Amino acid sequence: MTVPGKEAELLTRVVSGDRDAFDAVMRNHEDRVFSVCLRILGDREKALDATQETFLTVFRKAGQFQGRSAVGTWIYRIAVNTCYDQLRRAQRRPSESLPDHVDPSDPSAEAAIESAALRPEIEAALAELPPDFRNAVVLSDLEGLSLPEAAEILGVPIGTVKSRVFRGRRLLAKQLGNQIDQ
Amino acid sequence: MHDHPLDLIAALADGSLSDEAEARALVESCPECREEYRIQTEVIGWLAATPTAEMTDLEKAALHRDLWTELRSQPGKSPSTPWWQRLAYVAAGLFVTVGLVSVLNNGALNGGGGFAADTTAGGSLDAHTEEAPFVAQGSDDGESAPEMTTETTAAATATTAAAGAGGEESFALPFAELAEEARANQADRALTEGTDRDVEACLARVALDEHVVVDEIELDQVYLLVMPEDPEAEPIVTFVVLPRCEIVYVG
Repeated sequence: MTVPGKEAELLTRVVSGDRDAFDAVMRNHEDRVFSVCLRILGDREKALDATQETFLTVFRKAGQFQGRSAVGTWIYRIAVNTCYDQLRRAQRRPSESLPDHVDPSDPSAEAAIESAALRPEIEAALAELPPDFRNAVVLSDLEGLSLPEAAEILGVPIGTVKSRVFRGRRLLAKQLGNQIDQ
Repeated sequence: MHDHPLDLIAALADGSLSDEAEARALVESCPECREEYRIQTEVIGWLAATPTAEMTDLEKAALHRDLWTELRSQPGKSPSTPWWQRLAYVAAGLFVTVGLVSVLNNGALNGGGGFAADTTAGGSLDAHTEEAPFVAQGSDDGESAPEMTTETTAAATATTAAAGAGGEESFALPFAELAEEARANQADRALTEGTDRDVEACLARVALDEHVVVDEIELDQVYLLVMPEDPEAEPIVTFVVLPRCEIVYVG
């Protein structure tokens, strides 16, 4: 667990040009950023791109962090916005979805994809959710963030997140029907 | 569903209630609420059973490699400058501008007082400068400053405005490690094009490697306005001209 004050100090060091500090920030948050992006985008390669883009933004905007939230919350908000941007770009330029790209030189990639995979029916149902509902469900139920954290990341009131999570779950259940028990 | 507080049921399902008594009573007394509670807990269970998605070690290595490659390819894109640092830049820029205007008004254009010298092998700026040179005051440490043109004064004013407008457009040295790498790679490379990587090498060459470029002004030549990277350091402004890589003003 990273102490919030220490994290903010790391960002201050990033602004002053400390590469080690930036590496430390990345190490602390890259797994969750990737996980959030993967769940929102539903594609490993796109999630890796979004993770990279997120940390580029973190690097460039480190000086704008004002300490009003935890560093992690600030970073995940950047990640969610990055994913939104990717989804918007994808809508403008629709393309066929490709299966998860596997680096042939990475023997652990297949296993990682398998272990991270949602059950296909759940993944399909999640992908069908309206983005606002999906993101709320991803942050709350898949990433285990608290409602206040999810609200801050999504930039909406807590009540809105509650409502989205609740309705998102209902939609998931409806779409999945009984197939999940089979 | 009736007017039952659905968020209460959802909160009971995800365990976020501090006091569950009211919600439990609701679920027990209302079949619809019970069904809703079942749906919510079921979906939470499906999702919670999903392992956390992780990158492989190779993917992480590639992420770090690609990220630093991207940052290297855009060394000018550094963390945006915090407000207090921008304020210092504005103050320093104003100081420089006021100082230069003061020097102009005091007849420096007539060649009186001051000093003119190069800190590097270079000489005066160029023929343009020689048409209307003036002499600026040096810094406390005795470093010299050669001639500046009136256009450069205007540039200093422009720089002040740019610094005040926000740090997004400014660019700075990349991390020390990257700068070191750039120096190693380009120490012998002639500074002829004024690229970002050349800037790094240039600043290192004139012992300004712990400085940030606050602004870049393109006139007859490219002038870099450089300040100490350390916000605690004295906000001394240095102008460096490219591609010759000469310090032309310290103040």
